[in-house]
Amino acid sequence: MHKQQLESRQRFDVRMLFFYAAAPVLLGLLAMHVLQLQWLEHEKLALQADHNRLNIVPVLPVRGEIVDRHGKGLAVNRIAYQVQLIPERVKDLDVTLTMLAEMLQWSPRKLDHIHKRIKRSRPDRPILLDDKLLWQQVSPIAARLHHLPGVDVEAGSYRQYPYANLTSHLIGYLSLASKSDTDAGFLANEFIGRTGVEKSYEDLLHGSLGYQQEEVDAHGRRIAVTKRTPPAMGERLRLALDAEVQQAAAAALGDRTGAVVVMDIHSGEVITLLSQPGYDTNRFITGLESEQWQAWLDNIENPLLNRATQAAYPPASTFKVITGLAGLKAGAHLATGHTTCPGYLELADRKMRCWKRTGHGKVSMYDALIRSCDVYFYKLGDQLGMETISDAALAWGLGEKTGIDLSPESRGVIPAQRPYMMAAMKSESSKRKKWFRGETMIASIGQGALTATPLQIARMVAAVANGGRVLKPQLLAGVEAEILHHVEVDPKHLKSIQKAMRGVVEKPFGTAHRALANADWTVAGKTGTAQVIKMSQDDEKKGYSPDQVLRRHQDHAWFMGYAPYENPKVAIAVFVEHGGHGGSDAAPVAAAVIKALAAQEEKQQVAGL
Amino acid sequence: MIRVLRGMDWILLAAIISLAVLGLVTLYAAVHQGDAGLWQKQFTFWGIGFIAFLILCFVPLRLLGLISWPFYALALLLLVLVPLVGDVQMGARRWLNLGIVNLQPSELMKWALMLILASWFATREANSLRDIAVALMLAVVPAALIVNQPDLGTTLVLLFAATSLLIAAGLPWRWFGIAVIAAIGSLPALWHFMHDYQKQRVLTLLDPQSDPLGAGYHVIQSTIAIGSGGLTGKGFLQGTQGRLHFLPEQHTDFIFAVLAEEGGFIAVMLLLLLYTILITRMLMISNRAHSRFASLICIGVASIFMLYITVNIGMVSGMFPVVGLPLPFISYGGSAMVTMLAALGLVMRVSIESKDRIPWQRPGSPLA
Repeated sequence: MHKQQLESRQRFDVRMLFFYAAAPVLLGLLAMHVLQLQWLEHEKLALQADHNRLNIVPVLPVRGEIVDRHGKGLAVNRIAYQVQLIPERVKDLDVTLTMLAEMLQWSPRKLDHIHKRIKRSRPDRPILLDDKLLWQQVSPIAARLHHLPGVDVEAGSYRQYPYANLTSHLIGYLSLASKSDTDAGFLANEFIGRTGVEKSYEDLLHGSLGYQQEEVDAHGRRIAVTKRTPPAMGERLRLALDAEVQQAAAAALGDRTGAVVVMDIHSGEVITLLSQPGYDTNRFITGLESEQWQAWLDNIENPLLNRATQAAYPPASTFKVITGLAGLKAGAHLATGHTTCPGYLELADRKMRCWKRTGHGKVSMYDALIRSCDVYFYKLGDQLGMETISDAALAWGLGEKTGIDLSPESRGVIPAQRPYMMAAMKSESSKRKKWFRGETMIASIGQGALTATPLQIARMVAAVANGGRVLKPQLLAGVEAEILHHVEVDPKHLKSIQKAMRGVVEKPFGTAHRALANADWTVAGKTGTAQVIKMSQDDEKKGYSPDQVLRRHQDHAWFMGYAPYENPKVAIAVFVEHGGHGGSDAAPVAAAVIKALAAQEEKQQVAGL
Repeated sequence: MIRVLRGMDWILLAAIISLAVLGLVTLYAAVHQGDAGLWQKQFTFWGIGFIAFLILCFVPLRLLGLISWPFYALALLLLVLVPLVGDVQMGARRWLNLGIVNLQPSELMKWALMLILASWFATREANSLRDIAVALMLAVVPAALIVNQPDLGTTLVLLFAATSLLIAAGLPWRWFGIAVIAAIGSLPALWHFMHDYQKQRVLTLLDPQSDPLGAGYHVIQSTIAIGSGGLTGKGFLQGTQGRLHFLPEQHTDFIFAVLAEEGGFIAVMLLLLLYTILITRMLMISNRAHSRFASLICIGVASIFMLYITVNIGMVSGMFPVVGLPLPFISYGGSAMVTMLAALGLVMRVSIESKDRIPWQRPGSPLA
């Protein structure tokens, strides 16, 4: 028994050794495992810990504002508020949404839509409920945020165009980044310029992204901002445009479609670039409804077209200035001589009419320009030939893109640029058609094959006023003038044309006398009335009202000019689509523009004093 | 009183108090951003637990031997009541509402089983089939009740405590070997009876990345917390994983991750060192205990502590599946704190009673 008991104790002591060993062994194993994590895998896991808690969040730059030459906002940024909600933090979703719906006056349809959106979204991420809100709208929510867990009010900025309709073609609009933009590195919630200045100067206006390193907790709540690279704000652009002059031009045009361009003849600065009708660019920012877009596309007045730069029209009698200059340069005997206008010109078996059926009698170039005699220029054109006229047109900047920072731009048509026309002219065989003498004569009064944009016409008249410098139209204020080419022109020739243009306004029988003789500045100019020759038989089929069809068959009215005559500053081109007559319909618009320009100048002088 | 003071194992007491300090500091780091009231509560639990510890220092072991059977019977009765009238919390029926306190009978059962097995093997060795069968019955019946609650952690504690005491009581090694083989053989059956969430935990352990936001989230986040702490830690209150709430249950089962993140490997080593001292000291008391019963009590308590520590740290650091066992003296929790300190009171009582006496069955002892 005694021995057995001793054995039992011995056995127990052996087992005790096992227990003694167990603690250090087991804890040692744990220690080794922890050491592996804390030493060998430390770097990897520390990185993961940072990855857990640190979010790199891009900070959107504020887009540069666009202002007119006097600092008036054309494209500005407004503060707006948005309401977000994180579903999993909301106690009672129905109650919360009902409260919000009441405060933000949501329609039942919108509330329903939001319910659906929440259902299919991740419950741990913020969902945008409503945006573009004013402070008055969100302040009741902001005051009650602690009763509304999961709801958040955030401030942001959005683009606004104070003169949306007036400057729609010039300023353009923005829209959210598309697939190709995000491929180029933009974020999906960034706005990108799509047309106009917003597109052309995107690089300057956009600014660059900033980044913010945020510490977040496990619920994704931002605890602190740990690092910040501020975004670079986009540049503020000051345009050469004068919003008041543009507004005056728009008012003068009224509900007629057309374009008005005003250019500084020395610097090329574009003071007005109007195309009517415009469209509301503000609607793009809130996300344009496709019905609205379709309505604009279908509108027969085509509001999306920039008539000042994208559409070319027959320049009509305004082109006689070019034909005249070409005649003087070529030394054609008619250029310094006279002819008689009986009201028509017979060419083979055709009768080419002057606009004045009774004729102008004996006319020189001076008279022919003032009274806009067609027969004189038929004859002059016939003497010169199409090539000479084309060369002059090209020299004065027609038939080429002006290089304005607005795209796309039309370059118009000058026959010399069209190989088939030239081939036809040189009597070489052409499959397309034969060039008739009559066509040259029609072209020399700016009809037929010739077309030009209102901007080209403005630039051309600016060159006439400034001694032959064809400038690049500048959208930005205060940039240096860029002379694209210098027209070789005898100052004497130019002077005689300028005198005739002054006569158009000054002489009682001048075509623009009635509209502009009493303008605030002395004006020299030329009217034009482009015949709408092509009567589209389809018009009635397109479903236009008889009234609209009638209007579409009216002539286009032109006026181009510069002022003041003695010391020219600005060149003006007015184009009224289906407007009627240049003298009675386009020239008054120029008068309104000059009035506005004079008023602005006076205001500047008063301010200067 | 003087006897109590003379017999007190001061090193064991010092280890307990050091763990108390380390535990409260760590808990503060875990809760200071959230419910700081928990820290004060834990402090109160320490007070209550320490009183229990002191009371048990005065309870004669003979008395414990006498009450071990009724105590076990009571615990078993309560355990049977749980499925009938118990409260459900977090998907498991574990609690009995006794009006004033919510009692967890499975917590009582751990210590009742330990006492009754110590008492059973106090007078016999584990070498007869009958004796071992009785001991196994005593362990398996409550274990079966508890695993159904479900509470895998406590079941594990019961089985582990019983195994430890069987080994200490002289279970022949080959029988132990047979039992281990049988246990491994029964794993597929066990898998079959496991709840889905328990299966998920095992699967998650095998590949935590398979479900990084679901079941694997706990382990991934605690592993990141431990690893990012590095050798020297991020500094007190500087742990980002805990502070920003990436760590789940950071004041209870996963508090080790807070300690490891903020204190680094240095703090981990300190903790493990204190635990080693605690357990070794208990085993040393067991070695010089005056009776076999007393020895076995110490071994039982030491094994339960060992299991808690190993399973908890292993779970938090991603070695074991997630099994809800607290880290002794560090995790927040009242009942665990009080019962663990009470258990240490038992060990301390052994130390007190054995002072100046010859260990059992050693040459020169009265029994020898």
